[in-house]
Amino acid sequence: MMPYFKFDYFGFDFSLVVAFIIGIGFGFALERGGFGNARILAAQFYFYNMRVLKVMFTSIVTAMLGLFYFTWIGWLDISLVYIGDTYIVPQIIGGLLLGMGFVIGGYCPGTSVVSAATGRTDGMVFIAGIIFGIIVFGEMFPLLEGFYNSTNLGRVTLVDFFGLSQGMLVFLIVLMALGAFAAAEWGERFFAKKNGRGVE
Amino acid sequence: MKNWFKNLSTNKKMAISALVLGVLAIFIGTPNDVHKIYVNAKEMALSTVKDQDKISVKTFADWLIKDKADFILVDLRNEKDFYEYNIPSSVNKKMENLLGSDLMRNQKVLLYGNDNIAAAQAWFILKSSNYKAVYILNGGMDAWKNEILFPKLSAAATPEEIREFEKVKQVSIYFGGTPQIVSDGSATALALQQNKMPELPKLTAPAGNITPKAKKKKEGC
Amino acid sequence: MNSKKENSRGEKEFEPKPYSNPYLVGFGLGLILLAAFLVMGRGLGASGAVSTVVAVGVEKIAPEHAAKNNFYSEYLGDGTSNPLKDWLLFEVIGVLVGGFISGALAHRIKRTTEKGPNVSVKTRLIYAFVGGAMMGFASKLARGCTSGLALTGGAVLSLGGWAFMLSVFGGGYAVAYFVRRQWL
Repeated sequence: MMPYFKFDYFGFDFSLVVAFIIGIGFGFALERGGFGNARILAAQFYFYNMRVLKVMFTSIVTAMLGLFYFTWIGWLDISLVYIGDTYIVPQIIGGLLLGMGFVIGGYCPGTSVVSAATGRTDGMVFIAGIIFGIIVFGEMFPLLEGFYNSTNLGRVTLVDFFGLSQGMLVFLIVLMALGAFAAAEWGERFFAKKNGRGVE
Repeated sequence: MKNWFKNLSTNKKMAISALVLGVLAIFIGTPNDVHKIYVNAKEMALSTVKDQDKISVKTFADWLIKDKADFILVDLRNEKDFYEYNIPSSVNKKMENLLGSDLMRNQKVLLYGNDNIAAAQAWFILKSSNYKAVYILNGGMDAWKNEILFPKLSAAATPEEIREFEKVKQVSIYFGGTPQIVSDGSATALALQQNKMPELPKLTAPAGNITPKAKKKKEGC
Repeated sequence: MNSKKENSRGEKEFEPKPYSNPYLVGFGLGLILLAAFLVMGRGLGASGAVSTVVAVGVEKIAPEHAAKNNFYSEYLGDGTSNPLKDWLLFEVIGVLVGGFISGALAHRIKRTTEKGPNVSVKTRLIYAFVGGAMMGFASKLARGCTSGLALTGGAVLSLGGWAFMLSVFGGGYAVAYFVRRQWL
């Protein structure tokens, strides 16, 4: 039964090998998607290239459908898949701040690694920035701890939150993603015409 | 129909596949339907015959003392009995709610009722729904009372039995029991009646969940 | 596919290939994410690896300081195993290798700085550092970054993951106008 690691199919040391292999796949996919390039990532926020949204939502939908159907067949015990607790206010504030950092710096942590791996100086400097930011957070942690641990809602999913059946929610997310893709395709063409530049 | 699909662009094919799977999902509703079970009869029969899935109360008491608690101890008796007395570290669960409960399939689960019957039934339910490590506390609460809380030594015990009893006595006292020496065999039943169950420590911490070995490092980002 | 062109010194160079179809990339990334769930029971991540390295670094320099701080000690573990033997750290090393392989195959490895035409390299690098610092801070505050929280949390339908993802887009669009010179 899956997830294999949780049922002791292999030990901790081998899990690090798995981590490395999965990481290679992850890095490969990010680079293929153009996410080693800050201009492509930043373009998301100026509507002329919506790759971030397309890649992100497609992968969320793919993994979500996979989890749903593997659970349905009975191969996966979804309760053993790690879902972090929701700390709603720190996560919304953190998200806003992270979004600003995204458009200012041009990367997010995962993509900056790919960018550095393909030789981009800005990616390397960005990683140095992340390290600095984490040190600042670490040093300020005694002050932030109260806020950091506030509004803990536990292991909440959208299923609990909206009170819909899981299948209905999966359907709605698929529908929302397809709608977002249609809008993105239209938006790209619209802004390309308006700005007189092509889709990169 | 087939040709129609083949002639679509890759993106459209993906979109249609996702949409079909999404629509099907509505009809599936909740995928982890806990009422369906699959049984590997042979494997189950074998492990029953070999008694691999039973743990004696003495072994278990020893584990508790040594704090080797990497299992979830589940009390299957009714709530009233549970709150009167329960084995330290146990959690009370109703048989009918077992599968919907927070028991994890990769946790070691140890079951007990008053005797072995309820535990055996619960064992079957869990085992057949893919719980890997399910054990029965052999003899249940009755055995716990007889062997741990109120062990008895007959007056005509051999020196070996007495030595053995000394060990049990320590364990019994640890759990708040009252070891006793019985002079007359016929008085056993009466003596048992008068045994006062040890006071439960106020149900705050102990009868909670023992989470399986606190993770050293978190799994999140 | 590999059209060659001559550079200024007359050497033959490969043209970088265009980036792949984003939906196919997303599908592939989704399968990798799914594999992580099925094999490991957890999703992907990135910022956690940097945190581990930072925590270990702080511990090397000031062990007592690190031990007193709950944030660092969470990444250091209980001392029974080397904190650098960390799942996310090995995963991120994989990302580095995977990104390099993909870039090499598509002739996209290049020592350069990505920026818009109207901004100097120096300005761009200052922005990159500031943005990185904000992101490092924010990802710790939110308990995850775009991969660990938005992508992974999104796929498991976590409420926090979705709230975070929408906030990321919200925050990005809110300041995009003010830094447009950097990109456009």
